[in-house]
Amino acid sequence: MIGYHLLRRTIGFAFILLGLSVVIFTVARVVPGDPARMALGPLATNEQVAQLQEEMGFSKPAVVQYFDYIGGVLRGNLGKSLLTSRAVADDIAQALPATLELVLFTLFLIAVLAVPLGVLAARRHNSWIDNASRLVSLLGVVTPGFVFAILLQLLVSHFHFFPLTGRLSTDIRFTPDITHLALVDSLLKGRFDAFADALSHIFLPALALSAAGIGQIMRITRSSMLDVARRDHVETLRSFGVPDYVITLKYMLRLAAVAPLTILGLEFASLIGNAFIVEMVFAWPGIASYGLRAILSKDINAVMAVVLTSGLFFVVANLIVDLLVGLIDPRLRARG
Amino acid sequence: MAAPHPLLEIESLNIGFASYGQTTQVLHDVHLKVEAGQRAAVIGESGSGKSVTMKAVIGTLPHPAARVLGGSIRFDGQELLSLSRRERERLKGTDISIVHQDPLTSFNPVFTIGEHLDDVLKFADRRLGTSSDARSRRTRIEATLRQAQLKEPERVLRSYPFQLSGGMRQRVLIAMALMHRPKLLIADEPGTALDVTTQDEILRLLNQLVSEEQLTLLMVTHNLAVVRQTSDYVYVMQSGRIVEHGPVREIFTAPRMPYTQRLLEAIPPLYGPKVQHRQAHSETVVITANDVVKRFEAPRRFLEPAKAPVLAVRNASLSICKGDVFGIAGESGSGKSTIARMIVGLMPLSGGTIEIDGRSIADWRKDPAFRRRIQIVYQNPASSLNPRRTVAETLAVPLAFAGAVPKDKRAERIRELLALVELPANFASRYPHQLSGGQKQRVAIARALAVDPEIVVLDEPTSSLDVSVQKTVIDLLLGLRDRLGLTYLFISHDLSLMRNFCNRIAVMFRGEICEQGPTDTVFDDPQHPYTRALIASIPVLTDAEEQAKPQVTLEERRAVLASTIQ
Amino acid sequence: MSVETETLSPAEELSNFGRARRRLLSNPAAIIGIVIVVSIVLAAILAPYIAPYPNHAGSFVDFRHRHNAPSLEHLLGTDNVGRDILSRILFGYRVSLLLVVGVLGVAVPAGVLFGLLAGYFGGIVETGIMWLTNVMLAVPPLVMALAITAVLTPDLIHSMIAITVLWWTWHCRLVYRVVKSVVAEDFVEAARVAGASHLHILFREILPNCAAAISVKTTLDAGFVILFGASLSFLGLGVQPPTPDLGTMVAAGAQFLPEMWWEAVMPGFAVLYAILGFNLLGDGLRDMLDVEI
Repeated sequence: MIGYHLLRRTIGFAFILLGLSVVIFTVARVVPGDPARMALGPLATNEQVAQLQEEMGFSKPAVVQYFDYIGGVLRGNLGKSLLTSRAVADDIAQALPATLELVLFTLFLIAVLAVPLGVLAARRHNSWIDNASRLVSLLGVVTPGFVFAILLQLLVSHFHFFPLTGRLSTDIRFTPDITHLALVDSLLKGRFDAFADALSHIFLPALALSAAGIGQIMRITRSSMLDVARRDHVETLRSFGVPDYVITLKYMLRLAAVAPLTILGLEFASLIGNAFIVEMVFAWPGIASYGLRAILSKDINAVMAVVLTSGLFFVVANLIVDLLVGLIDPRLRARG
Repeated sequence: MAAPHPLLEIESLNIGFASYGQTTQVLHDVHLKVEAGQRAAVIGESGSGKSVTMKAVIGTLPHPAARVLGGSIRFDGQELLSLSRRERERLKGTDISIVHQDPLTSFNPVFTIGEHLDDVLKFADRRLGTSSDARSRRTRIEATLRQAQLKEPERVLRSYPFQLSGGMRQRVLIAMALMHRPKLLIADEPGTALDVTTQDEILRLLNQLVSEEQLTLLMVTHNLAVVRQTSDYVYVMQSGRIVEHGPVREIFTAPRMPYTQRLLEAIPPLYGPKVQHRQAHSETVVITANDVVKRFEAPRRFLEPAKAPVLAVRNASLSICKGDVFGIAGESGSGKSTIARMIVGLMPLSGGTIEIDGRSIADWRKDPAFRRRIQIVYQNPASSLNPRRTVAETLAVPLAFAGAVPKDKRAERIRELLALVELPANFASRYPHQLSGGQKQRVAIARALAVDPEIVVLDEPTSSLDVSVQKTVIDLLLGLRDRLGLTYLFISHDLSLMRNFCNRIAVMFRGEICEQGPTDTVFDDPQHPYTRALIASIPVLTDAEEQAKPQVTLEERRAVLASTIQ
Repeated sequence: MSVETETLSPAEELSNFGRARRRLLSNPAAIIGIVIVVSIVLAAILAPYIAPYPNHAGSFVDFRHRHNAPSLEHLLGTDNVGRDILSRILFGYRVSLLLVVGVLGVAVPAGVLFGLLAGYFGGIVETGIMWLTNVMLAVPPLVMALAITAVLTPDLIHSMIAITVLWWTWHCRLVYRVVKSVVAEDFVEAARVAGASHLHILFREILPNCAAAISVKTTLDAGFVILFGASLSFLGLGVQPPTPDLGTMVAAGAQFLPEMWWEAVMPGFAVLYAILGFNLLGDGLRDMLDVEI
């Protein structure tokens, strides 16, 4: 049953990606303006523009161009980058691990900070700890990513706890070439110096990226726990003397986890969006940095590839959330 | 060997709830005594304080909102209110156990039944200082489930709550309370949320267990008939006070307090001289249904094999005469509401025909004129009145649309309607949340009458109201029928009410009308085994009525109810 | 008149509005929110009159006073060409609020309408609209807006269009969810039995029940639209200099970190202040109207 459910969701998500490709293709090609002219700038000659138009297939009808493009995407060909003069697919493959690592570490921070605090705040409802956590979550939600990033940089520039930019120090001489995730590869290779260096590099950007998520997930965990606490079945267990910690950490938490998990999936898109700002401030060599350069230099193929990749990120994240929610809730498994 | 003191003794218990810095007292000098081996009951309507009293005994009052303002609760000679938290916890589930009310919400939906029961047993054992291994606990749990008449304990333990029927879950809740033979068993409206036949099974089971195990029972309920069936001594609660108490027989035959009298009167008799017999007014047929079928196609989902459609109504035929109060009785899922919706034209038929005044409603139902012939009153006025619209705005809708009443005439008509349902005219500007349940239902009735329909479908119009309010609404409906010459189609699961309200009745069972006829005939000589079982399970107030019910053997009951029970 | 045993507590007798207002005013966080939002609106309207150096809003240059730390003369310091940061923040709020009004003025009605239609009519209308919102949800809004403003020329109007294109989906989903639960209530069917038209049911019966959720969401959104616009211009793809825009100012000031910290931090805090205000007010409204968003 859960199999059907996941299969159906996968197909649904595939349709979403398809829709997304149409939207971004429309934005890139149909919107007024000549992409080739925009890419080359006002100083290029008309011949140069015409040549580029031919190269990019702009002379064909838009629908044909779209199917050419999608056909290419399905074969792993995302076109050529005007910015780096390399295949966009290669550029993406190179930048992706850094972003993946940043996002995964951010999710880890959100999970270990927000969920326990949310549970605690709900347990000590209306106490000082609840109020303090509410303040933290409010600040997390209302502080713009770029402001938080800048404040972190200011702080560190005074105290020098962490490196300000980059992914690894140059003098470490370490290449993550197994999973391409520096934190994982350094451990696999037993390079604890590299691990410490990678950790110190990733900490600030991940913290800046997690701020909004921590605030939101903490809030949702808290209200979800409070909601579950009112249910009859909590009273059932309580009236039979099952200890509080068992009721809270086993029975309530599993049921209450559905809401924050779902929200986390939905908020994944804005997490990737914020990565653009964080990667820029911390000079993190990820896909967002690449995308931003592509956007500023109007490198259409690269821009489209970045948008599609972040859409794929979102879709995969939500499939995982679906799977987890299905594992938690037997009613969903039965319904399919 | 007489115990030196009662098992449970509550004296001048005062409890308040604090909110926004104000404390509202909800219990006033409550006193209550339960001797060991006694079967006692606390009866009261919603908000009477019976649940709070029970929670105070068990020790699950909401913290920190609830405050004990004074009094004492002695259990087995021990003062509960001065016990430490730890000592208090020790009593739970071992000395004092409770059977919870709503069998669906009483289990955490994402854990199996077995997980719940194992944790309850494990920690109770631990508090008693005995450690137990999973295997031995499992054996004990299965034995208790068998005791609660659950035939396949292994399957029950593996199941998630939603995979069991309501009756089965209620049995698990009973088993949960019996795992350590408790000195005091509190039962909080057991079975109330279930169908009457299942409720009857549950009460029988509870009675049997109490007598077999010689348990002390404290039954908490709003239903006097349940009290008669399960208790020897009763406390009547109203607005946080014990207003009357005594042996059940005494209270039932000679109630002293007007409140108790009102409660007794509010329950319609099933048999005997007090039954009100309604007669047919005329022979003119206004509604006929011929072989009506309703099929609900299961939603077809992508990539999955199609599921079989559900037959909600199969080949139902009936005819209703002008001035009839025609009752359709049935338990949940029997198809009674589906028929009602089809007759009001809210749902197309899958087969058969429905005619009103000899005219098929198939096309007619889209016509505003049709709306002026037939209207409906819903079960729950909290849901059927738009919370954002005042009474006047709500009443204006049928006037403006189905009635096509010009704007300047509407205010006048709204005043008339409010007077008709005996509400003050100034209620027109009120919002639903400013009305009580009974008042809301009166507004809903006024809305149905706004365009002068001749037929009104009443879909359980009183079942969401307290018993004492139910009676006033029923009286209003009867008065309106006589004054306006209305025909009612009354949908309900409450057979004692229908016995006194309807002149004809149809009984539905799994989508079929299994029996129909004049109400007196159906009750005096029920033919279909289901009708017999159904009438037999209705809780009644007197022994005479109990005797007058059709006698149904255990086998007979099991045969018809097999699916409802397990 | 009938006698009923049910009685109403005085609290229930109190009118809905009065009770709600009292709940809002007894919530200190909400009051702070109101004060902040009012101060921002006033600042934006009165900027030319209350700004200490109104002429610094444009392309003013005074190299003698560049990089001045906050002082009595320049309360929040000056930037790299000697312009008063406080004055530019006050004018910056004009741009922010203009963005809010432009975006929400289109996105909210559009989202509400589509949400109503999808939730009420179901079927193909529902499938189509919800698929579209899901597509929009899958793409990081900032990335999409970046792409759109990059293809167009970056300026206020184009930012507005880009944000609006993405924003309506959130209101659509919210209203859709509320409508789905409202439609299941008996009063919708009761209105149908009373002969009411679709138009009446949609706008008179259902929409009022969505109003609370919409107003809370819109208030919260005002803050996030400001954040969004500032993020775009921080990345260089929003409002272009010399128009004073908070995000642009942060980006420009960030080049002089950490020594000239005020140049990035002050406008940054100005953005935070605005989001905080709308958030506190939105949360207060949420508690007051007792809705779930």
